[in-house]
Amino acid sequence: MADGPRISHTSAMILQAIGIGHIYGYTVMEVTGLPSGTVYPALRRLERDRLIRSQWERQPIAEAALRPARKYYRLTRAGEAAVETSRKRYPLLAKLASKEQEVQDV
Amino acid sequence: MNAQWLQSAILRGASLLVPADERAEWLAGWRSELWYIPRRGSTVFCLGAFRDALWVRRNRLSPMKHLESPFSCLAFLALLAAAGLFLAILLPAPDTMARSQHLRVRDLLEGCVAMQLLSSLALPAIRLAMGPGANPLPWRNRLRRGIFLALKIALVQPIMLGGFVLTCAIPIANLAFTIAWILAFRWVLIDQRRRCPVCLRLLTDPVRIGSASQTFLEWYGAESTCSRGHGLLQTAEIPASYSGKPEWLALGDSWRSLFSEAAEVRQP
Repeated sequence: MADGPRISHTSAMILQAIGIGHIYGYTVMEVTGLPSGTVYPALRRLERDRLIRSQWERQPIAEAALRPARKYYRLTRAGEAAVETSRKRYPLLAKLASKEQEVQDV
Repeated sequence: MNAQWLQSAILRGASLLVPADERAEWLAGWRSELWYIPRRGSTVFCLGAFRDALWVRRNRLSPMKHLESPFSCLAFLALLAAAGLFLAILLPAPDTMARSQHLRVRDLLEGCVAMQLLSSLALPAIRLAMGPGANPLPWRNRLRRGIFLALKIALVQPIMLGGFVLTCAIPIANLAFTIAWILAFRWVLIDQRRRCPVCLRLLTDPVRIGSASQTFLEWYGAESTCSRGHGLLQTAEIPASYSGKPEWLALGDSWRSLFSEAAEVRQP
């Protein structure tokens, strides 16, 4: 049996997306291609499992930018370990990061 | 139709599924995300809110505070029962139930007894479908729990009678009534299982232990505490052969000082 957390492919994709810097719900949706009805409950589940933690953006920052405050997500240590494990389990997930790099290069 | 109005209505509709105390933050989260969504896909985005709201509802851990004490629970049911009886008297009686246009006291009694008999028949089946309860308890606690359960079931009858009279005018009355009746009894049993077997108060401060994604052949689920320090109830998220039924861990008197409410009871 492999040691470390076991997570689904969807959860692994979301963790990977957050790990490479897509820290908002909508940007996670964009990069993974998953619908909102999958991403937001999955984010809640991952937060409940303490693989990620969420925080509301500070109101003055949002007000200064004339937009509503957003909730953002960060990986916890357990989440980082889960990403490492999931990369071995789902090798194609690495493409999520490389695709992102390609888009940035263009 | 204005798309913004539609999206707002979808989010508001979905927010009704979220428990009231979490609704404002949930709605704020979805509204702030919606602000960033391109207009073309925003309605589809909003539809996902229903699934998220259902997840929040299903995974809510904290019980209803206003029904925490057994007396407030019975008082709440008594209030609903009175409203049910009032409705049953006020509305036109179903053809099969009454000899006059409105139900009389005798009809109400007969109706409640009929409902009670129906419940007695279905209760074991519903209980069996919900799985086993906590470990065996001392007879005194079992008696107290039994009386409480019997009172709840008795108070549900007038409520269901009122519901029956109310719904008998609509075309799918039988189906609606059957579903409402099963849900009512399911609630009665779930509420019973969430209570401390000693003081019958709803267990509080649920803590999630373990997680499905990190556990293999180990117990994971929720552990709730009696606010008066009588014990802990461990409920597995997915019943398995090694954790089939909720486990009640009684705490000794030495633990009581850690629980504020218990201390308050002893030092009025």
